[in-house]
Amino acid sequence: MRRRTISVFLSLMLCLSLLSACGTMTDVPTNGSNRDIAFEETQQEERAEGSDSTTSENGESASDPESGKDGPVSDKAQPSQPEQNANENSLSAEAPAFSLSAIAEYTDKPYVAVNGNVPYFTESELTSQSYYYYSYLDALGRCGTACASIGQDLMPTEPRGSIGMVKPTGWHTVRYDDLVDGKYLYNRCHLIGYQLTGENANTKNLITGTRYLNIDGMLPFENMVADYVKETGNHVMYRVTPIFEGDNLLANGVLMEGYSVEDNGAGICYCVYAYNVQPGVEIDYATGDSKRADSSNTAQTPSTAAPVPAQEPDDSASSDNPGTGNDMAQADYILNTNTKKFHYPTCSSVKDMKDKNKQEFHGTRDEVVAKGYSPCGRCKP
Amino acid sequence: MIVITCLDQKNGMMFNHRRQSQDSVLREHVAKLVANVPLWMNHYSASQFDTESIPNLNIDDAFLQEAAQGEYCFVEDAPLAPFEKWIERIVIFRWDRTYPADRYFDLQLGSGQWHLVGTSEFAGHSHDMITMEVYER
Repeated sequence: MRRRTISVFLSLMLCLSLLSACGTMTDVPTNGSNRDIAFEETQQEERAEGSDSTTSENGESASDPESGKDGPVSDKAQPSQPEQNANENSLSAEAPAFSLSAIAEYTDKPYVAVNGNVPYFTESELTSQSYYYYSYLDALGRCGTACASIGQDLMPTEPRGSIGMVKPTGWHTVRYDDLVDGKYLYNRCHLIGYQLTGENANTKNLITGTRYLNIDGMLPFENMVADYVKETGNHVMYRVTPIFEGDNLLANGVLMEGYSVEDNGAGICYCVYAYNVQPGVEIDYATGDSKRADSSNTAQTPSTAAPVPAQEPDDSASSDNPGTGNDMAQADYILNTNTKKFHYPTCSSVKDMKDKNKQEFHGTRDEVVAKGYSPCGRCKP
Repeated sequence: MIVITCLDQKNGMMFNHRRQSQDSVLREHVAKLVANVPLWMNHYSASQFDTESIPNLNIDDAFLQEAAQGEYCFVEDAPLAPFEKWIERIVIFRWDRTYPADRYFDLQLGSGQWHLVGTSEFAGHSHDMITMEVYER
């Protein structure tokens, strides 16, 4: 009985501490105590084994390769106690000290170095044990910092599933066919890309981002980290913080940090701010509304836009070759195996389709066409 | 000299003083390509190679000035334009992805001076596909 009373008391205290930590609203959501620890104690042991890697024979030297100087945190000891990584208290979800006012206005580069390209990780945050976590959404439903120690053991072995059901804050389905390579202005941007942690439709990991942010701003860093981890077996500390101004629903950009652990940053070391902009499009960050930059009207759907389906190609940051344009974006489609037409799931034709002829498909438009299907004339997928 | 370099889909070479990517299978290809011909590189590049296994390897931070005709130079972080007139052939190992970059390949391959004379593809260790492009004058 006494044990049960203590247990109830502890549970009550835990709930109170969680509640008291909610609702803080700053430019950088600091949901530090609201973090979502993404592994459980039993899994920690498995991952600790899997991540017991050392610098491969082809790992790089520990000094700054060009200047000869040590990396920013390279003189600090590596995390020496794997047990610490299993301790929730050792994982920090604190957003790094960062001010949007220090960032220059966007000109023509998708990202800009911050803090001399040196990430804000502290020594105690560096770990060679794989883990990831995502902050809880704040009171406005916005994502906070996502952080991980990326190891090979976290990487997905299967293709990404659909994320079209997630509507992050500031989400609008709008397309600018002549301005955006994927046609649709907004993508669901993974804070930590699917290719790194295999996290799919987690609302705590998806923000509304422009195609430009997704493909030109974030994807190159995901690619670099993913290939480095695959090649060396090392770990990379990886943190992404969406930067919201005031109560805006759309992030102005994301702060991205990366640091390779086992070689003390010799392989991977960066700290950049990626702009959530789309060249040629003017965006209202309070709501996510948009208009053509050269247009005086504020209509959200541009005059050249085709009918906007409720379901559109979703985040394609995990695709292998996103630079080839809109047809590389993955989406959910419904195939009519009888007529050989393909439709968006929301197309009115779908409900009239016989079940025996209906087949769900997730992939790129090119893949559907390659299967011998042609687009529906009504929903124009 | 014959230049060997690695570029991403946008001709990027480096970001924040670090190579964009590396691949052990690519290194094996480089070793086979140069065979017994002298191969030059700087200390930074040498850090990713097993220097003992490559015969006639020369490590020198001023390697582009040192390399003679017919000798190979593995270039990761140096401008090539100042040495263009001495370059006989360019071998590009093209990554199949785009990475962050703040240093780019600085020769204009589309200027008419260089001609693509051959391409081949192979799977890397951590890259699904690496394309080897060979350019000659």
